[in-house]
Amino acid sequence: MSERYDVIIVGAGPAGLAAAIYAARARLKTLVVDESVPGGQVKTTHKVSNYPGFPEDVSGKELAGAFAAQAQRFGARIAKAIEITEHALGGPEKKLVLDEDEEVVAPAVIVATGAKPRELGLPGESKFKGRGISYCATCDGAYFDGKDIHVIGGGNSAVEESLFLTQFARTVTIVHQFDEFQAEPASVQEALANPKIRVLLSHEPRGFYGETALERLEVEDLKAKQRKTLQTDGVFVFVGMTPRTDLIKDVVTLAKGGYVETSDAMETNVPGLFVAGDARVKRFRQITTAVADGTIAALAAQRYVKEHRR
Amino acid sequence: MSQFVKEIGAQEYEREVLAAGEPVVLDFYSTECPPCEALAPKYEAVAEAFAGRARFFKIFRQGNRELATRLGVTGSPTLVFYKGGKEVGERMTGEEIKKTALKAQVESMLP
Repeated sequence: MSERYDVIIVGAGPAGLAAAIYAARARLKTLVVDESVPGGQVKTTHKVSNYPGFPEDVSGKELAGAFAAQAQRFGARIAKAIEITEHALGGPEKKLVLDEDEEVVAPAVIVATGAKPRELGLPGESKFKGRGISYCATCDGAYFDGKDIHVIGGGNSAVEESLFLTQFARTVTIVHQFDEFQAEPASVQEALANPKIRVLLSHEPRGFYGETALERLEVEDLKAKQRKTLQTDGVFVFVGMTPRTDLIKDVVTLAKGGYVETSDAMETNVPGLFVAGDARVKRFRQITTAVADGTIAALAAQRYVKEHRR
Repeated sequence: MSQFVKEIGAQEYEREVLAAGEPVVLDFYSTECPPCEALAPKYEAVAEAFAGRARFFKIFRQGNRELATRLGVTGSPTLVFYKGGKEVGERMTGEEIKKTALKAQVESMLP
C-alpha cells in the first residue's frame, strides 16, 4: 500500500521548507523528506546575519527550526533521517520508497536537495576525514580547544566559520588560493582584526599527511611556486559546494557541475518535477534565494496539481 | 534511554567494546551537532535490526576527550567498528552516513 500526497518535497533546507509552507497553506497534502534533520546547510551555520526579519544575528539552527515549525504548523509532514531507497520520478505519477519499506506517491515532486560541501580531492583527504579534517565547524570545532588549525577557502563560509573557530582554537590560519578574499568585506575586516586569525593568501593545499591522525598539511605558494609543509592539529575545508542531484540524474539532463536547468517557474523538462534552491543552475546561492525558489516551486506545483487532479 | 543502543563512558570501553564477544559499533557523538541528531534514529534502527548479533554503543565526545584523542577521533559523528577487540573496516563520519551502508558494514562483520 502506498500513501498518496499532492506534493512531495525532497530536502528540508530553506528551499524545501519554504515550498512546504506554501504548499501546506494551499491545503495540498504535503510531505517533506530529508536524509538528516531539517535545515539543510543552514542548520550547521553558526550565525546568519543577512536573512531579513532578524535585526540581530540568528543562529542557523534556530532559523532552521523556525522554518520547520512553520511548515508543520500548516500541516506539512516532515520525515527526518530518511534514505530514499527507490525512486521513479520520470512519469506522471511519481514514486519514492523511503527506508526500503514505505512507498509514497504524488503527481508533483519538488527536489530541493541543495548541495553538500565540496571536497578538495587531495591525497590523504579521505584517510583523515574525521581524523583531523572536517567540513562542519559547529560539529567539530570543540575538538580543537587550544589547538592550531587551518581553514581552507576564502568565501563567506570560510571566513565566518574561521571566526567561529577562534572560540576554541589557539590560532586559525586561513589558506586561500587567491590574493584576496571572496567573502563579504564586513566579515573579512572582522577576521583580519582578530588576533587569533592568520592568513596565507595565494596558497593552495596539496596534501594531508600523518600517522593515524592528521599532522601535516602541504601547501603550495602559488606566487613563489614553492611547496611547504605546515604542522597542523586540524583542517576545516570550506571550498564551495557540489549539488546533490543523484536522485534525478536519470530523468533530467544535468548541466555543468551537476546542477539542474529549470524554467523561471522551477520546472524541469519532466512535467510535475520541479527543482528549487542550490541544486539549480543559477548565479547566486543564498538562504534568501533558496526561499524564493521554494516559494515559486510550490506555487507552480499547486497549479500543476490542480490541473492534473482527476 | 534506548533499548538497543547503550551509552558508555571511557571507563567501560575496555570491558564493553574490546572484550565483547560480538561485533561492536561505537558512535562518538557531540552536542550542537545536527549530523549526530540525524544519525541517531538511523543508528537506533540498525541496532534494533541486529539485536543479539552485534552490539551498539554511543559515547559522548565532550565527556570522554581522552579516549577520542587516543583513537584519533576528531569529528562527530564518527562510527568505529570492532571485532574481537580490534578495530576493523573503515570508520564512518559526518553527515553522509547512510543506513544501508551501515547495515552492510555490520552484516560483513557477522560470522
